[in-house]
Amino acid sequence: MEQTGLLFEMIRSELTEIVGEPHVSTNDIDRLVYSTDWFWLPQMWLDQGELPQKPDYIVRPKNAQEISDILKVANNYRIPVIPWGGGSGSQGGALPIFGGIIVDTKRMNRIIEIDEKSLTVTAEAGINGQQLEWAVNEKGLMLPHYPASANCATLGGYLSPRGTGTISTKYGKAEDLVLRIQVVLPDGHILRTPVVPQHASGPDFYRLFLGAEGTFGVITEATMQLDYLPECRLLRAVLFDDLSHALEAGRQIMTKRLDPFVIRLYDPRSTASRIKKILGYELEGAYMVLGFDGDKDIAALQERKAMEIIHTFGAQDLGREPGESWWNQRYDFYYPPQNLKLPWMYGTTETVTTYDKIENLYFAEKKAVEEGFKDWDIDFIGHFSHWFHWGVMVYARFIIRNPPDDAKEAVRIHNQVWNTAMTAVLENGGMVNEHHGVGLKLSRFMRRQYGDAWPLLERIKKTLDPNGIMNPGKVGFGPS
Amino acid sequence: MNTAIQTIENCRFCLMCRHVAPVGYVTCNETLTPHGVALVASMQHKGSLDWTPDTLDVLYSEPDGGNCRAHCVTDQPLPAAIAQIRAEVASEGLAPSEISHVNDRIWKNHSAFGKYQPSTSRGEWGLFVGDPGFNLSPATAQAAVRLLAACGVEAIPVGRGLDSGFIPSSLGYPDTARRQAQFCIEEVQQAGVRKLLVLSPQDLFAFRQMYAERMDINWPKDILLIDLVDFVADRIQKDHIKVLPPVTTTNHLTAYVDPTHAVRLPTRFDAARILCKVLLGTPPLELFWHRERAHPVGSTAIQFMRPDIGARLTEFRLQDAVKRGAKTILCDDPATLHELRLRNNSPLRVQGLYELLLSRLI
Repeated sequence: MEQTGLLFEMIRSELTEIVGEPHVSTNDIDRLVYSTDWFWLPQMWLDQGELPQKPDYIVRPKNAQEISDILKVANNYRIPVIPWGGGSGSQGGALPIFGGIIVDTKRMNRIIEIDEKSLTVTAEAGINGQQLEWAVNEKGLMLPHYPASANCATLGGYLSPRGTGTISTKYGKAEDLVLRIQVVLPDGHILRTPVVPQHASGPDFYRLFLGAEGTFGVITEATMQLDYLPECRLLRAVLFDDLSHALEAGRQIMTKRLDPFVIRLYDPRSTASRIKKILGYELEGAYMVLGFDGDKDIAALQERKAMEIIHTFGAQDLGREPGESWWNQRYDFYYPPQNLKLPWMYGTTETVTTYDKIENLYFAEKKAVEEGFKDWDIDFIGHFSHWFHWGVMVYARFIIRNPPDDAKEAVRIHNQVWNTAMTAVLENGGMVNEHHGVGLKLSRFMRRQYGDAWPLLERIKKTLDPNGIMNPGKVGFGPS
Repeated sequence: MNTAIQTIENCRFCLMCRHVAPVGYVTCNETLTPHGVALVASMQHKGSLDWTPDTLDVLYSEPDGGNCRAHCVTDQPLPAAIAQIRAEVASEGLAPSEISHVNDRIWKNHSAFGKYQPSTSRGEWGLFVGDPGFNLSPATAQAAVRLLAACGVEAIPVGRGLDSGFIPSSLGYPDTARRQAQFCIEEVQQAGVRKLLVLSPQDLFAFRQMYAERMDINWPKDILLIDLVDFVADRIQKDHIKVLPPVTTTNHLTAYVDPTHAVRLPTRFDAARILCKVLLGTPPLELFWHRERAHPVGSTAIQFMRPDIGARLTEFRLQDAVKRGAKTILCDDPATLHELRLRNNSPLRVQGLYELLLSRLI
């Protein structure tokens, strides 16, 4: 939008009326900073001196009513609205690719209630994840969603892409912890779902907003399930000769419901590179961290049973220290300069499928990517970190250490790698993602993934957001 | 400059200290976070941005309180890198006049806040009073001297009104900072001090860490640096001084405010609380932003660079205390105390920890 035109000023004055002058920015520098999130593409684009699409306005509302009023303005002028939490999404879900209004929710950071009897917390969606955790920790409680982005993500950012944290294997994904949400629909209507999530009063419509990444509305508040801080956390590490045995051991631990809070299994390539770099262990094989928590007697029994399974596969018990060291440094992988970073090209394909398919999927994706891009000396590493009763997620990463210097060529190669990887994933029974969300990055794969079911989602989108103002270009929904 | 560039390149897309970033917290603005400041600096370095009033506003928004680095597992020295970039800006004559005027004042008076009064005494023990301790909150320094006397330590006040070099370093004037550092060291040496107690965490940080890191000046090895709060806590625990038992019934409504820069000096967390407990008979109320995650108030160079942000930092800490149900807040740092008193529009009582200790000495 022309930054000096009459329409621009009209909209700015209306937004200012809603949130107050200090909370509307059209400053060039703010617009630039809000033009990128944690997605590799816009970061590379900026680094190469190219300017990404900027938002026209950044607004910082204080409550749901103000968001409602903002959405009415946006509908009136048919301009995009992009909800923004911590800006820590890796999929480009918060990129203002068509300009419009960034709605930064960080002023909505109140904790409304901590219910120590039902073990719930109700908070506004803009609260920082770690700050929320500190607050509930003071009561001896935890919100058992520990993503690597906890330091920077918001509660709304946990829910919008259906995030998963380090201890999800026992406690569930962020979406499993939700009891109730408040959401502002694209037309400005504010709705709050019932207090009790498990019932039989019709379909679970509130789940529509989890994973919609702001395309169906803006989540403004949530009530989340808490847990007591565990009496103990027992961690240890084991080393398998090969990945197949490790995957089977993990499957048996899960299907026998031994309830680990973490199973983190690194493939041999990751073990040799990331584990060596961050934890300092030089090992050959597949490194697995195993953790049990809660009541110390129960956790100890669960661990003993799990180790019985582990031993049947001839794995080497490395003891507690390597497991505890991993736990204490589990986020260190993401700090520069030891993280994956520019000028490298990299990406994380975090897919999920059932146990019967997971090994084939992993090797098929690995082969497709490594063979397809061997001229680029591509590296493919992975770990398996969110385990379910029925299957597991593989967090596979590709790295090209000498990508093209030209930004446009880099975009082309990057997207080719993704096309190759996602084709392998879809052909082998996987989903295009498990917890990072869809955003812009995976948007183009949604129709293919859902096939005949996709038109239903499109109809829902059209009903909720007839003008297509909500986060256009994301989650498979284009601009209207 | 290479180190500074390397640091901003590391920080420009990193969000891992967001949870403790004070300016991001009080402004809710993505731009005014370590990531935002580093990104702007990086883009300027690469030629994608110029220094304009808007970009300079971002560059000068970082308070140099140390929170980002204290929580960085790879120890990125972003505050020092930003100070270095500000120095480049100043050397090109681009620093805003209100900032260069502060530097001129320090160059002329050795003080940002008033006058400098060099010491003429000599002794083994010294108390570095500093600029805020002499010019903004003299009662705190006076109480500290008398407390030390009660402990059997005759400490000569040194550095009265003397900026330690922290403010000019933070503003981007390394020559002034270096000159101040030399003044500090010379005064302490000329006074014959061998054990230097330091009243303000800001000055202690400068002596222990900043001089070496930002100026390549090493604090003299034969002069022992001691955090005053650590020293007094130790003396109280060893019964060198005793205080009257707690008298009021509202002691449980008294909170301790970890001062600006406390995150850079983690040994002081426990020491300050030992003193509070002796006075109150109970541990102090803890603010949400306490100990390792304590936010600064607007007492750093931010008060000159972005006074609007400085004021908000202080107001948020006061609000933190009010939300926790505190009626009284205690602090030991003269600069922090001054800011808290200046901005306090609530019924909260702001009290100096050393002043209170002194009033209760047996």
